[in-house]
Amino acid sequence: MQTNPTHPPLYTDDEAERQRRLRSKRIRGWLKASASHAVINFVGLFFVIPFVWMVVTAFKSNQDVFHTPPRWLPYDYVYAAIDGQRYPLYRVQTADGEKELAALKIDSGVGIFADPANPSELYEVKIQEGGLVMAEAIMHVSFRWQNFPDAMQRGSRPGVGANFWVYFKNSLIIAGFTIIGTLLANTPVAYAFARIKFPGRDVLFILVLATMMLPYQVTMIPMYKLFNEILGWGNTFLPLIIPSFFANAYDVFLLRQFFRTIPEEMCDAARVDGASEWQIFTRIVLPLSVPVLATVTVFTFLWAWNDFTGPLLFLNSPDKFTMALGLRDFQGQRTMVWNQLMAASIMFTVPIIIAFFFAQKTFIQGIKLTGSKE
Amino acid sequence: MRLSSLYSRINHNHSAPVWGRSRYRSLRLGLLFIAPWLAGFLLFTLYPMGMSLVYSLTEYHTRGPLEWNQFQNFINMFSDDLFWTALKNTLYMVVFGVPITLITSFACAILLNLKVKGQSIYRVIYFLPSIVPAVASTLLWLWILNPQAGVMNTLLGYIGIKGPNWLNNPAWSKPSLILLGMWGMGGTIVIYLSGLQDVSKNLLEAAELDGASWFQRLRHITIPMVSPITLFNLITGMIGMFQYFTQAYIFRGTGGLGSPLSSTLFYSVYLYQQGFQYLDFGYASAMAWVLFFIILGCTVLILKISNRYTYYAG
Repeated sequence: MQTNPTHPPLYTDDEAERQRRLRSKRIRGWLKASASHAVINFVGLFFVIPFVWMVVTAFKSNQDVFHTPPRWLPYDYVYAAIDGQRYPLYRVQTADGEKELAALKIDSGVGIFADPANPSELYEVKIQEGGLVMAEAIMHVSFRWQNFPDAMQRGSRPGVGANFWVYFKNSLIIAGFTIIGTLLANTPVAYAFARIKFPGRDVLFILVLATMMLPYQVTMIPMYKLFNEILGWGNTFLPLIIPSFFANAYDVFLLRQFFRTIPEEMCDAARVDGASEWQIFTRIVLPLSVPVLATVTVFTFLWAWNDFTGPLLFLNSPDKFTMALGLRDFQGQRTMVWNQLMAASIMFTVPIIIAFFFAQKTFIQGIKLTGSKE
Repeated sequence: MRLSSLYSRINHNHSAPVWGRSRYRSLRLGLLFIAPWLAGFLLFTLYPMGMSLVYSLTEYHTRGPLEWNQFQNFINMFSDDLFWTALKNTLYMVVFGVPITLITSFACAILLNLKVKGQSIYRVIYFLPSIVPAVASTLLWLWILNPQAGVMNTLLGYIGIKGPNWLNNPAWSKPSLILLGMWGMGGTIVIYLSGLQDVSKNLLEAAELDGASWFQRLRHITIPMVSPITLFNLITGMIGMFQYFTQAYIFRGTGGLGSPLSSTLFYSVYLYQQGFQYLDFGYASAMAWVLFFIILGCTVLILKISNRYTYYAG
């Protein structure tokens, strides 16, 4: 594509012709680049717009949420204070012309308005008369930050005392313990499959991989009975946390693939010096495996934080809900408070976005490791 | 060839037995290290599998005695209309949803592989939706597709299309879910992107010199060379789709599970309903085993067929 400037052209018979060709090539390159940009941006809209809509909705006031057609910025009333109370301002057609008045009360199509400058005088106006709008709320662009604390402080069900902060905390507790369990349980197993030669190892490893094929649904009901009835762990975090302290096929596979890349010579040298297998594992292999341990941590967090089926099966009182379950419960109410629902959804998503930006490489690496390689 | 045999020899050395230990001692050591997996396998895989098999062969409603019922659960499935509805809905998603998602994510990967300014930012933008929790993204799309105040139909209105009633029309509920899935296909795009890096540059350049058009290079070099990745994505996508649950559980119109008109009653949703709403553990377990064999059968089938179409370098 590019000509190498250090090499002089081989012949310059027709300098003008060469220049023209170069120029047309450059134009073609520029056209190609802008066409690529246009297509990438256009497709990108599909990925971006929902995010934008989520954020915009989260900042909308209640009176703007269901505005049709939807507006791309959050709007809110302009408020005026009368006797320390806040009332929304309306543009009202009165007998003596258009006025900006505060709406004290609007009931069955009739509004009672007052002039904030002169509150004693009341106007009674029909909102609509003969197809004409007589009073219209004055709206201005305003980001309603209050939606976030409002959403977090409300429970999915009133009167239980549990709110979204509790759900947030529950999600964090479960995710934290799941990460600890996953790291503790999977690393020695993966090390054994990578580096300790013992009879039956290969057969067992095939068995590990085979368990990936088993759909969750097959074990779901007996696990439900085991945790709820036999162990009596119903409505606790234990059914969600304890299984992570036993290794799972995905992480064993991921870790084993990495452990196999650590030079065997290092381990052999330690072995000659009399190190035990456990010492080699904890003192040599683990310190060299920080990148893959980070991958496992991030993915376990992602998985535990997002999990919906597990909490749905095992948690049933609102004070035990996770964010995922709380949001679903919030949705199940009769009236959908979309702005608060979106605010809570953002609170639910933000920890993951933060994790992503801190560990972007780890994320992508993990997907590739579990995906395309071997 | 020589290189690979050398590699395998090195590899063999790597996994050489720990010298100086007896077979018994190395077995004991190995089992000690894999104890967490072994215990988990017995407790959380083998035991539940066995119990599930027992339940599936019995008349069993949460409590009470297990009663052997001559495969009645499996026989009942044949005459259960909702079972067939659920299976059909799931197959719809597997047959349409999975390939559509695969093709579009491959197209996106090609776009993101173009050398343009800001490439890494575009990659982040395309990827980010895939890490939004399923519950949050499903709620978001419920709101986007809202018939009154939703942004989707407004946007379609700008270009003169009157959008359908996505949520409450049985014909549009599954396409809505496919759309939702496509929003979160960033993982598949990343896997395709990494595959595109492995496509031989030499081959592409040689083809270009020989006058092959962009489309010909795509058709005869790129697509065959990423075919193992397509196979991987196809199988994982298919398995995931057969177990499709969370989005379907959240994504319902104004009615209950599976609404509108059972059009989002997928296999796993119906299984959950049988097990945990009607508390018919026997029937639900039988359904789970049928699901397992459907998935197994489809995987084997895809692998068999793909043998002819998949290209493995080296």
